[in-house]
Parts: sequence; C-alpha cells; structure tokens
Amino acid sequence: MAGVALRAVGAARWVSARMGRTRVVSVDDRQIHLIVHGEDRVVDVLFDGRRIWSFWLMRDTERVPRRLDHRTVAWPDRMRPYFKGRTELVLREHVADRDLHREERQFGEATSRVAFVNAQGLEISLDKSGRFSPTFGGRTEEQLTPLLDAMDAVIAMMAELGVDAFPAYGTLLGAVREGQFLGHDSDADLGYVSRHTTPADVITESYRLQRAVIARGFETYRYSGAAFRIDVRESDGSVRGLDLFGGFLDQGRLYLMGEVGTEYDEAWLFPFTTCTLAGREYPAPARPEKLLEAMYGASWKVPDPAFKFETPRSTTRRLNDWFRGMTVYRRDWERRLIGMGGRTPKGGPSDLARRVAAEVPADAAVLDVGAGIGGDSLWLAGEGRAVIAYDYVPRGSRGALAAASKRGLDLESRPLNLTDLRSVLSEGARVVRQPGDRVILARHVFDATNRTGREGLLRFASLALRGGGTLYADVWTGGSKPPFGVRPLAVDRLVELTERHGGTILSVEAVEGGGPDQQIQRMVAQWA
Amino acid sequence: MRGNRASAELRELREQVEGIEASIAELRRHHLRLAELADLVQELLVPMAERDEDRVAEAITKFQHGL
Repeated sequence: MAGVALRAVGAARWVSARMGRTRVVSVDDRQIHLIVHGEDRVVDVLFDGRRIWSFWLMRDTERVPRRLDHRTVAWPDRMRPYFKGRTELVLREHVADRDLHREERQFGEATSRVAFVNAQGLEISLDKSGRFSPTFGGRTEEQLTPLLDAMDAVIAMMAELGVDAFPAYGTLLGAVREGQFLGHDSDADLGYVSRHTTPADVITESYRLQRAVIARGFETYRYSGAAFRIDVRESDGSVRGLDLFGGFLDQGRLYLMGEVGTEYDEAWLFPFTTCTLAGREYPAPARPEKLLEAMYGASWKVPDPAFKFETPRSTTRRLNDWFRGMTVYRRDWERRLIGMGGRTPKGGPSDLARRVAAEVPADAAVLDVGAGIGGDSLWLAGEGRAVIAYDYVPRGSRGALAAASKRGLDLESRPLNLTDLRSVLSEGARVVRQPGDRVILARHVFDATNRTGREGLLRFASLALRGGGTLYADVWTGGSKPPFGVRPLAVDRLVELTERHGGTILSVEAVEGGGPDQQIQRMVAQWA
Repeated sequence: MRGNRASAELRELREQVEGIEASIAELRRHHLRLAELADLVQELLVPMAERDEDRVAEAITKFQHGL
C-alpha cells in the first residue's frame, strides 16, 4: 500500500511539475517563497530595473516540507545590509525573458530607494562568486574603454614576452556568444597556454610575466603559481581586475588555471583566430567553442548568470597541488583585517608583547610577524622600540601606521607571506644584512598557518635571528574557544620543527590568565 | 575463509592506492617549491655573487617589488 501511495504522490508531482505555472507566493525580508514547475532554470532578481542577483529555481532553493512544488530561497546574507527603502522588485526568467513577479516593495522604514552602490558610489551587483562588485551590465561604452585598452595593452605586452594571451572564461564566453562582456560578469579574464610543458616552468614564467607587468606601471595581485590579477583604473575611478591565467599542454591534455583539465587537441588552439568583444578584435584559440566546452560544459551556449563550476576533483587536485598553496588562508584574513577599515588599534598590548618589552634590550628591533592590525606593533613602537609589522595583508596595519607616523614612532609595515618561499627568503636576506639585534614576536602565527607557513616562519627566524636573536611565540593548543583563524597545534611538534631549523628552545610554558580552559603555550627559542 | 582473504586484500589495495595518491600529491607540490627557488636564484644569485652591497640591496628591493 505504501508503495502505491508513494507512486501516486510521485505521479502527482510529475503531472503538476509540467502542468502548473511557476509563480512567487510571497516575498519578505528573509526569503522568497515560490511554486516551481518545469525544468530547473535561472531567474534574475531586479531592483528598480537592475539585476542584482540570480538563482536557479531548483538547485538553489529548498523544498517546503509537505507542500508539493513549494520552494523557498533565502536572500544572500551579503544583500541584507542594503535592504533599506523602497524598490520595484522583479523576478525574471533569464533565458525566456519572462517576468515571474513584480511588486513595489518596502524594506524597513527608510523612504529612499534601495541602492546597491559601493563606497565609491558605483552601482554593484552579485557576481558569480557571490560577491558584490561593479558588474558590466549598464556600463557605457566610454566606461569600458579603459578596460578594453588595458586588455589590448596586456595582450600586446604578453606577445612581446613570447606569450599568446587571449580572452578566457567569462570574457571569451561573452565574446563568442554575444560579442559583448556578460552583463552579470565583473572582471575580464585573459588566458595563455605556455610553451612549457611542466608546472614548475609554467610557474617561473608566470613570475617573470608579473614582473614585466609591474615594470610597465600596473599594480598586480598574485592568486597562485599560475595566475595573477592586473589592476586597471577606469575613467570613473573604479579599479577593475584583469585576471591572467596560465596553462599548458602536455601529452594531449590541456590544463588551464583555475578550472580546466581535459583531453585537448593542439589543433583546437593553434593557429589562433579572432573573436570580437565590444566592437574590438581579440585573439582567440583556433576552435574557441572547444575551450568553452572545456570551461563550461556542453551547455555553454545557454546563458546562466548563476553558473557554478563543477570542476572534476581530479583536475582540482592537480591544479591545487601544482599551483596553489602559496596564499594559505589569506582570503579569510583579508576579509577580517581590511574589513576593520584601517582603524587605529585600541586596547592594551598582548601579554606576549609585554614580555618582549620587559625582557629584550631596548635597542633590539622587534619583528612583529603576523601583525594583523598592528596593536602590539604600535604599542611596542610607543615604548620606544624600532618595530616592523609583517603580514601578508599589510593593509591591515595602515591605521597603526598612521597613528605611529602622527606620534613620530619608529614603525614600518612590510609584506611577508610565510607560504611563499620567495617572500620568506628575500626578506630574510634583506633583514640579515641590517646591523643590530633583533627579536621576533609571533603571536598566534604558527597556529594560524599550515606546515609550509610554519617552516616559512622558522626559515625567516633562522635568517633574521642569526647571531643570538630570540623568537617569542604563543600558540593555541586546543580547548575553549580559539582566537580568530587559529587551529590547534601540538607544541611538542612545534618544538621539534624549531630544533630542526636550528633553534635552541629556551622555554616552553603554559600562558596563565588566558581563561579557565584556554590552552595557550609560549615557546621562546634562540638562534646561534 | 575466501571472503576474509578477499576483504583483507581489498583493504590492502585500498591502502596502497591511498599511499600512491599521497606520494603523487607530494611530488606535484615540489613544482611550486622548485619554481620559487629557481626564481629566487635566478634573480638574486648574480648580484649576490658580485658581493656589491648596493647592488644586492637594489636587487632584493626590485625582486620584492615584483612579488
């Protein structure tokens, strides 16, 4: 009997899914409630006529228990802060261009219109990574000119450097499918297939290309061993990223950072042809549709502003192992530290900073590694010390720097990425050549990175502290609530690693006063 | 008995595959380290070998600017 009932419910769903009309039941400040019929498809959400967000009717919604065909989707958390005022809210099927819902809606009590604009006053919407950025939709031709010029410049520059770059990912898709940038896209992507066939050579080539781009006056930002962003300033002052992804062909397989790993015929790449983007011609692989298929699957011709990559695990693992792992946890820290808005650190110094101030001769420079917003750095500088605040998010300490400069304190901020050997060794080589005594303060750094980062810090210490310098480190070993971004670390393993890098352990002790269950250990080590 | 032996063999093979996968991942990760070292040596070795302090400082500054 149960089987018959289940089959009946299934049949009813099948019929209803094909017969009914998809519509919105209600919208509130928390979610959208819909009745969904037919195939899964993508819907744009427009505020006062502008697309802000897109979602898939089935993939991104949840079924309401015991309600046939009823589904809900919560507003993305990032949208909520903007829900102030009135708007004309429209839900529109992206491909069919058919409105599912339209209403004049009030969020909160403000009388103004709901405005999705960033700090620079630019209109923004959610891009495919779920982040707010100034997407291309609604940009004038004049506003796009600097980006197109920059693409021209970078492609020409790459050609001079022996690399044939072409529009890739969303930019190639927009060019081939629509001759334009995709309205919901927010950045321009360029790709190239290296002449090298091993990842190590592809990485050194990418480093060389980045140096050449910087030498030509552009700001850059590296994502991985085979990809970096080139920042382009547009006419309205907005800075737009141009991502440059490296790839290589080996034994009939193409790998392109960051999503492609597939069987590939070289004849689909070379000789290059052209594609048209916003009225300009750009180089394109011989058979661009083959590359688009490798990037977006066979359905690349169907527009999807809520597209999510489904890269096979084997490809992700290869690309991770070969190219990634040099910016470990950086995004989380950027969000946290940059989100703090460069404010001057308040509150007293850490117990570790007090210990350093009490024990270390006054003329020894303090290297505050993993300085964050620079609270300890600023306090130590205020105590009359020469301090360098190191972090892989150096912008985090700009408030501390401004305060130090106002007070005439000796505080400097320098980038240091413990998971990038080039950063660690070059900074170590720079510091070791400076005269004077030094100590390193590393408060919750060993426990906020991975093994590569821990080794990076110890390598840096073995260079910077050569000749009697001391390392002071606090690590969380478990129990209670950890500080932000920290993972438990067994102190005996840290001791072993430190000794292996030439450090002599002076003491390891539990830190008192960290709370009833907080297990924080302090390690002090010295290099001869 | 045969079932026990087959499942033990399966377990052993699974462990072997996991071990091989881990080794491959380790080897793949050497590419990035090798490239970092190669880049560093290429950019800094010559000025350092010349033992010209100013040139070394300049080379380090230039190298770090390109990171």
